Amino acid sequence: MKISIAPLALAAALCAAPAIAQEKITLRFANTFDAAFQELWKPVITQFEKLNPMIQVKIESTAGSGAAIYPDVLRTSMVTGAPPDVFFMWGGTIAAPFMKSGQARVLDDEYTKFGWDGRFAAPIKARSTTAGKTYGVPYRAMGMAFWYRSDIAEKLKIKLPNTVAELEQNCATLKTAGIYCASTGGKFGWHTGRLTEYFIETTCGPDRHDKLNALAESWDQPCVVAGFQRLRTWIDKGWLVPDFLAVAPNDSRIPVYQGRAFMIFEGGWLEGALKASDQNVQNYSFFVPPNDSANRRYSGFGEQWMIATNTKHPSQAAAFINFITDPAVQSQFKPGTFPLSASIGAKVDCAVTPMECKWKEVISSNMGSYLPTDQYFDKELIGSFYEIQDGIVAGKVTPVAAAKLFQERVVTWKSKQKS
Amino acid sequence: MSTRLRKRQLLNGKTLILLGLIGFSLVWLLPFATVALTALRSEGDMYANGVFSIPKVIRWDNLTKAWGVGDFPTYFKNSLLLILLKVPLGILVAALAAYPLAKMSFRGNSALFIFFLVGLAVPIQVTLLPLVGMMRDLGLSGSVYALIPPYIAFGLPLQILVLRGFFKLIPGEILEAARIDGASEFTIFRRIMLPLSVPALAALFILDSLSTWNEFLMALVLTSAKAARTVPLGLLAFQGEHNTQYTLLMAGVAISILPVLIIFVFLQRYFVTGLTAGAVKG
Amino acid sequence: MRKTVKSARHIPYLFMAPALAIYSVFLVYPMFDSLYLSFFEWDGLSAKKTFVGLNNYIEFFFDDQTARKATINTFVWTLGSLVIPSSLGLILALALNRGGKVSVVLRTIFYSPAVLPLVGVGLIWGWMYNPNFGVINVILKSVGLGDLAIGWLSNFNTAFAATFVTYTWAHVGFPMILYLAGLQSINQDYYDAARVDGANAWQSFRNVTMPGLTETHVIVLSLAVIHGLKVFDLVYAMTYGGPGRETQVLGTWMYFQGFQYYHAGYGAAIAWVIAAFILVLAIPYIRRMSSN
Repeated sequence: MKISIAPLALAAALCAAPAIAQEKITLRFANTFDAAFQELWKPVITQFEKLNPMIQVKIESTAGSGAAIYPDVLRTSMVTGAPPDVFFMWGGTIAAPFMKSGQARVLDDEYTKFGWDGRFAAPIKARSTTAGKTYGVPYRAMGMAFWYRSDIAEKLKIKLPNTVAELEQNCATLKTAGIYCASTGGKFGWHTGRLTEYFIETTCGPDRHDKLNALAESWDQPCVVAGFQRLRTWIDKGWLVPDFLAVAPNDSRIPVYQGRAFMIFEGGWLEGALKASDQNVQNYSFFVPPNDSANRRYSGFGEQWMIATNTKHPSQAAAFINFITDPAVQSQFKPGTFPLSASIGAKVDCAVTPMECKWKEVISSNMGSYLPTDQYFDKELIGSFYEIQDGIVAGKVTPVAAAKLFQERVVTWKSKQKS
Repeated sequence: MSTRLRKRQLLNGKTLILLGLIGFSLVWLLPFATVALTALRSEGDMYANGVFSIPKVIRWDNLTKAWGVGDFPTYFKNSLLLILLKVPLGILVAALAAYPLAKMSFRGNSALFIFFLVGLAVPIQVTLLPLVGMMRDLGLSGSVYALIPPYIAFGLPLQILVLRGFFKLIPGEILEAARIDGASEFTIFRRIMLPLSVPALAALFILDSLSTWNEFLMALVLTSAKAARTVPLGLLAFQGEHNTQYTLLMAGVAISILPVLIIFVFLQRYFVTGLTAGAVKG
Repeated sequence: MRKTVKSARHIPYLFMAPALAIYSVFLVYPMFDSLYLSFFEWDGLSAKKTFVGLNNYIEFFFDDQTARKATINTFVWTLGSLVIPSSLGLILALALNRGGKVSVVLRTIFYSPAVLPLVGVGLIWGWMYNPNFGVINVILKSVGLGDLAIGWLSNFNTAFAATFVTYTWAHVGFPMILYLAGLQSINQDYYDAARVDGANAWQSFRNVTMPGLTETHVIVLSLAVIHGLKVFDLVYAMTYGGPGRETQVLGTWMYFQGFQYYHAGYGAAIAWVIAAFILVLAIPYIRRMSSN
């Protein structure tokens, strides 16, 4: 009689399984990875699954630029009771609705359990904290500044400015040479918004700028008017590539690529974008612009991982996050898999990504930072801000009127929040 | 003498119109030319020489690269599945409803017609949340089949409107004759109404295939799993958060418009003059 | 022998059953669900919804400045949509209503914009309108009209019209197709009779074609109005409602409020305002023109 091995083997395997029957679970991981990035992350997922055979990670990526489409998908899945377990989120007011509505899990216990406090610099972790509770784990620490054509700077002997006056002098020099000082794309508002908020940083100073962003001071004051006026001046003097209100931010890079504009306010990701666009990274560098105060700051924000409150697998979700934020783990993978990582000790190859190295220096220094305004204001209020910004650019409203108008909008918005 | 002159004038008139149309159509095609040009060049070439220039080197490999990005073949398959399943099914359901609305008198004819028309007034965005919940309860959550019922439902108002209009043109005498001969309503529907409305059916097939192929918002929200996604969502994968590779994106766009173009060209023959001539004489 | 009256009475409803079922469940029910939602203040995310009665509607009609602009824009757009793409579509259908390869090719060309996905249309036309390298301005400058080479989409005065040009380009094919089908369905005998009576081309057109197209006119024109009132995709992709709020229409404002600003209830209210406009303007027209 032939004894079939198979059932015996199966029984043996089952006996070998732990006493508590563990089912293989699927961990849903939502993010904004584009196709190229998903490819880069395949080994990361494979490695995690190898170390955790009971967990299968399913990536749900919704690409598309900016904070436009992904939140819609995320929100819909949450409201209908089927949220992803781990999800990507920006910071500030983009994350706020998710925290306020209770859809994002409080992670204070996990921080203690995994010792995450030591993994991130305090100001970075602070970005994921609201009202004393921490809702996210830092993923990337981004900085933004003026990226410029170093080859043009060398040719025209342009020196990095220490004061705003020097910066504007550079712009004048460039204008004489027939080159626009800076390029910006006004579609959606946020790209030009970085310029506007930088100008306000220069005219109001860091402290007051923070207060304005927190709506603790009125926007209808002289320094704000001066900041708006600075935007107006840059346009009137021909320092900005003209007619930019409907130009998409990505398209606003084209004049810089073609050497017709000198600089553009972008973030650390530009290094990768330059490479993907077949541009010569050697011709580019960046500088954190001066704000005429002792406390020069860079514009910075964070991105984080969150866990859905209604997840069925909170511990596995936390384990996954622990894995992908571990600097030792991050160093195992190809450079570019964890760019601009917020984890202390994450390795950066300065030969391959020199600009990322430079940014790391900035971010780990004690230089302060300010959040972009669209992470201070909720979407509705920033919508008003951009509307008025567009009015200033088009000459429909003077800087004086703009400051007053925006303060009115702030007051209206505030009164609506109370109800 | 005068007829010869008149003929020449007529010929010149027609030629002029034709030439005008051809010129007009070239302008019409400019955006497509841009898609093609951008799809067949390298990023560096595009930035260096400008978007509207001729590429220095033609990069056919962009097309194969785009096809390999993400799961493009899967998205393609899903969109094709939707067109082949949903479009004929939806039009059939609409035709079935349009027939009595056009040709039978019964209680509620007017009211039901208005009821269907009202669907035209509904912007699709507001139905998203309830539909997601519904699909979850039906167990279809995340599957591409989840799109079929809502797509059909949203296509019905237009299709019923059009088909009812065309069905009304078919003379009642034919139907009466068939009824007297003992044909059932369903036979009449199959053998008379449908064949005589071929231009309308072809038109709806084209229009519906297109809106199904390009529908974005509902697909975004109802199909979360990668295996269930459609082509418009697939195109998203080319657009990174901080950078978009325009050349690959346009290559993806070029690939994605091929099937619907083919459907349109194929269905052209139903717009040939005289197809429905003789409808009465039969 | 005729079938008995009893079974004949059920036939219409049998035919309509599948359509009624799918339609009621997957369109009508969500529609009324959103009507219910429009009486609440809800962020679209929390479990909690706050009942606010008619507040959303009051805010729309009395407090919301952008809503007013969006409403005006929507009506202007709808008027344009009623006249321009429809007439162009009719002209093209008349010109191309013949056999032959040239006609097929031309028809395909004029319809082809509809096959382009929205991301393609938005991107390409954004490039075409680009003030620096866009082909429109390049051509204007090369024929000496450099003064007209402005930022068409950036300029508060021209952004709306420029977007509408793109809309026409993309949407002429739709009426063209419907008119082609309509022309096909006009009985050839009428044309023969007219010719026998000595009618010329224009008289033929006026007395045979136009009346023969009545049903098609109803469809094309009412759809033009409905699509115009609902417009969203193209404006969103091309201008995002900008510059400022200049090109906001009801469709985009509804999206901004309901999805971006987390006012799901208010967004639903705007959707119902759009629906109400359509119901009041278009449906009675269809009903009146379409009943015999």
